[in-house]
Amino acid sequence: MEQRSGVHPDERRRGRLRVFLGAAPGVGKTYAMLDEARRRAERGVDVAVAVVETHGRERTAERLAGLEVLPRRVVEHRGHELAEVDLDAVLRRHPEVAVVDELAHTNAPGSRHAKRWQDVEELLDAGIDVVSTVNIQHLESLNDVVAHITGVEQRETLPDAVLRRAEQVQLVDMTPEALQRRLSHGNVYPAGRVDAALSNYFRTGNLTALRELALLWLADRVDEGLERYRAQQGIERPWPARERVVVALTGGPEGATLVRRAARIAGRGAGGELHAVHVASGDGLVRTSPARLAEQRALVESLGGSYHRVVGDDVAGALLEFARGLNASQVVVGASRHGRLAALFRSGVGDAVVRGAGALDVLVVPHEEQRAGLRLPPRARAALSRGRRLLGWVLALGGPALVTALLSLFPRQDLSTDLMAFLVVVVLAALAGGLVPAVAAALVASLAVNWFFTAPVHRFTIAQPANAVALAVFVLVALAVSSTVDRAARRTEQAARSRAETEALSVLTRTVMAAEDPLAEALEHTRTTFAVTSATWLERTGPTAAWTAVACAGEHPCAAPADGDAEVVVDGTHCLALRGRLLAADDRRVLEAFAAQIAALRQRQLLRAEAAQVRRLEEGDAVRGALLTAVSHDLRTPLATLKASVDGLRDPELTLGAEDEAELLASVAESADRLQQLIDDLLDLTRVRSGVVQPHLVVVGLDEVVPAAAADAPPGRVRLEVPEDLPAVVTDPGLLRRVVANLVQNAVRHGAGAPVEVLASVAVEDARRSAQLLVVDHGPGLPGAAKERAFTPFQRLGDRSGAGLGLGLAVARGLAEAVGGRLEAQDTPGGGLTMVLTLPLAGTAHRLADPQADPQADAQADPPGEPREPREPLGVGA
Amino acid sequence: MSRVLVVDDEPGLRRALTINLSARGWDVTAVGDGTSALEAAARTRPDVVLLDLGLPDLDGLDVVAGLRGWSDVPIIVLTARTSSADTVDALDAGADDYVTKPFAMDVLLARLRAAVRRRGAGEGVPEVVEAGALRVDLARRTVTRHGEPVKLTPTEWHLLQVLVTSAGRLVTQTELLKEVWGPAYGRETNYLRVYVAQLRRKLEETPSQPRHLITEPGMGYRFEV
Repeated sequence: MEQRSGVHPDERRRGRLRVFLGAAPGVGKTYAMLDEARRRAERGVDVAVAVVETHGRERTAERLAGLEVLPRRVVEHRGHELAEVDLDAVLRRHPEVAVVDELAHTNAPGSRHAKRWQDVEELLDAGIDVVSTVNIQHLESLNDVVAHITGVEQRETLPDAVLRRAEQVQLVDMTPEALQRRLSHGNVYPAGRVDAALSNYFRTGNLTALRELALLWLADRVDEGLERYRAQQGIERPWPARERVVVALTGGPEGATLVRRAARIAGRGAGGELHAVHVASGDGLVRTSPARLAEQRALVESLGGSYHRVVGDDVAGALLEFARGLNASQVVVGASRHGRLAALFRSGVGDAVVRGAGALDVLVVPHEEQRAGLRLPPRARAALSRGRRLLGWVLALGGPALVTALLSLFPRQDLSTDLMAFLVVVVLAALAGGLVPAVAAALVASLAVNWFFTAPVHRFTIAQPANAVALAVFVLVALAVSSTVDRAARRTEQAARSRAETEALSVLTRTVMAAEDPLAEALEHTRTTFAVTSATWLERTGPTAAWTAVACAGEHPCAAPADGDAEVVVDGTHCLALRGRLLAADDRRVLEAFAAQIAALRQRQLLRAEAAQVRRLEEGDAVRGALLTAVSHDLRTPLATLKASVDGLRDPELTLGAEDEAELLASVAESADRLQQLIDDLLDLTRVRSGVVQPHLVVVGLDEVVPAAAADAPPGRVRLEVPEDLPAVVTDPGLLRRVVANLVQNAVRHGAGAPVEVLASVAVEDARRSAQLLVVDHGPGLPGAAKERAFTPFQRLGDRSGAGLGLGLAVARGLAEAVGGRLEAQDTPGGGLTMVLTLPLAGTAHRLADPQADPQADAQADPPGEPREPREPLGVGA
Repeated sequence: MSRVLVVDDEPGLRRALTINLSARGWDVTAVGDGTSALEAAARTRPDVVLLDLGLPDLDGLDVVAGLRGWSDVPIIVLTARTSSADTVDALDAGADDYVTKPFAMDVLLARLRAAVRRRGAGEGVPEVVEAGALRVDLARRTVTRHGEPVKLTPTEWHLLQVLVTSAGRLVTQTELLKEVWGPAYGRETNYLRVYVAQLRRKLEETPSQPRHLITEPGMGYRFEV
């Protein structure tokens, strides 16, 4: 975006900056940068490398081959030689593209600029394109976030503006798992430089959080770019790059449902956003409940969304305008709250939104409040509404009069025409008001015909028999038609009711299937469907036992079925009790279906719990089986050695040399030791498992406990680094000693002969400090899931060999937890297994450690721009 | 001097066995894992192999199969459990006998001797085997107890013959069924229970506490002299 370089009104073209952004060291930024440099060089561009830190990574160094590397400026500082970018040399050389690694690097004191990015700015000003790298944790705006995640404050920071000004920012991404694998293969740090504390920084959680930061930061930049582009190109239609959901709130009670639904949609994709908007009318009149809106606003904010208020008379229009302005991808509105008749006269906002939406997706959500309108229609005494009955009566009484008046205007002698006209009135009355008004209309009409139109006129007698028959037929037809119409109306009503019942039941089933707490959901559904104040589910153990309330929706639960206004008992031991209103017989039938459903649901719940219980028991059985196998193997093997040795020693017929005798005796002693160890472990495990370990917690220094615990290991096999100035921990020294001894023994056994390192430090996780003891071996290590399995007792099934007892680590973890600690296994960078024992510090109210006492001394210890935390905590490396 | 190959991953046991067996005149080669076991077997051509089933590299079964590929050397399996599917599998795969850890040295030596003797069986099975009051004449197909002749049905005789020929050695159920009833048999262990019980009634002093016809539960039978 060239317009950004306008800051420097230089005649020359300002150089372009391209930055490779990574989430953590080792993801391959420098590698990607050098690849890019090579690509450009191969295209014939003049590329020169001003500074690249390979950190001794071979494959990175390989990428450097064939590129011109400019000499660096060596600065002497406190006895260290620091190689910095030789800015003047680069400017003199003036390549088209300069490669400058680690944008956030701090230059040695006495350099022209304090920071490397300032060097880069100067290069850009000189019209040199620059390719560089930066880690996300160095960005200034993310400093405190990163400190919170990793527990380490970054001193080398880069102003965000510098990175924003970059023409291109490319993310070099890698999954945490892949990075950890790289690390454990020694691709990131050479095995010789393995600083086991480093693995703390490369925890999956840490890496995932940093990666998310990097992705989000970049996504925001991409968004900015997209917006800029849309503005430039005058694009108004939304480009749904990420899910941005706008939910319309009317201030009605359905708002909360809509907000939750919208939040679910927004949460479906990464980086989804939720915006709630309330359109207030332009005349300033308040038609909605401000309290409810405030409530919903709080809900929106608690779900991570933002609340907006816009003013406009055309609600749908204002809503859509707002959504387009936000580049929203979806608009969520509630289904219309109007009844059917009202909908005829004014269509709901929802419909208007759908009509005007254009390219926007619109979701019309049915909700509780609307469903409340669909509550089971009470079975009416008269099947038809009051209004229709009234209309029927008006037609029945007024219709014949009107028809009589009309017919009187046209004198003619055709009775059948008259009767037809009256029949129309009767049918209309039947259609409108049902049977009774129709019968009345027929009577009135027949009297009117008799009086006005049959000879003799104005008398209630009929001269011609044919007319009498016609009138009789007319009355019969009128009765038949009106009764048919009435029956049809009733059928429709019944059908609607059945549909509502079915709907209610099926909604019950559906909600129950999906719900987290099906019982509560089902009761709540029952409560709203029957429009009562509370629905309670009661159970008792036997037909005569007392009832207990299992769950209740609404207020004032029933303690017994008798408390309810309506209750259904299922198989004598389950009961659904409603309180709030008396139910009609029809509603009761539905209630019974509900109760049966809930009883089945409850049964399923109990069965599932039982199945889980059985599974747990089975797992316990498997563990016990494994215990027997392992114990029988581990006990019998040393016993066999013991017995074979003793048999040899005792056999009177055998003459053994002194050397053989000594060897057999040594075998006896060794086997006895092993048996003792195994029995100790078994007893410990039993104590841990049965919870009889009573830790005696005291404040103690790790430097007092750890050396003693490591003393049993073969000499020269263990290297201890336990600083004396480490803060004290709260633990049981005796038990801790056992844990550490176990870990050291295990590490020595599996360490493939390499020395085992025991490192103590202070770790910070989520801004809480704790003591961390690492027991590091450089053996073959354990792959992924096997690491966690190593803590399961007797994980070695069958007679499978392997020098270890199946118990050591299980005991260690059990005891570590008993003393308030935590024990985990991790990969050793460069290969091997690292056991991480975390213990609470005494008086854990400490703040984050002051990150640096002597910055420059440390700057030398780590490659620039690399994470510092591994070495920081209280000078582990000292 | 018979050669024995000891395969066990437990160094202490390996050492104790080497010293014990060497002192009793065996030529011992001891190795700690399956690969070296196969290699050592090919190199030293042992007369008998003592094999622990729990090895660090190969499954004990794989070692049995590997040996059986080219050799019929007797294999005695060392197992840490009295009844184990592994042991049965190993016997089915071609192992000859098993010993449960911990074991008495004299029992182990007796099994080793029986295994080696079986190997030399082709050269000279004694025509007459005597065990306590029993006298089994394999050539004449007669059995006497305290000098009194015992009448056996052909099946009983065949069963006894197989067991006596491998005296001291474990004969697995499958082996017995295939040998006596024919190759189509192998799972009908109830036949064996019935016939062995009949034999015990005819041959043992106290059939409920047999001294010669020993059952190895789940594995097979052994004729002890």
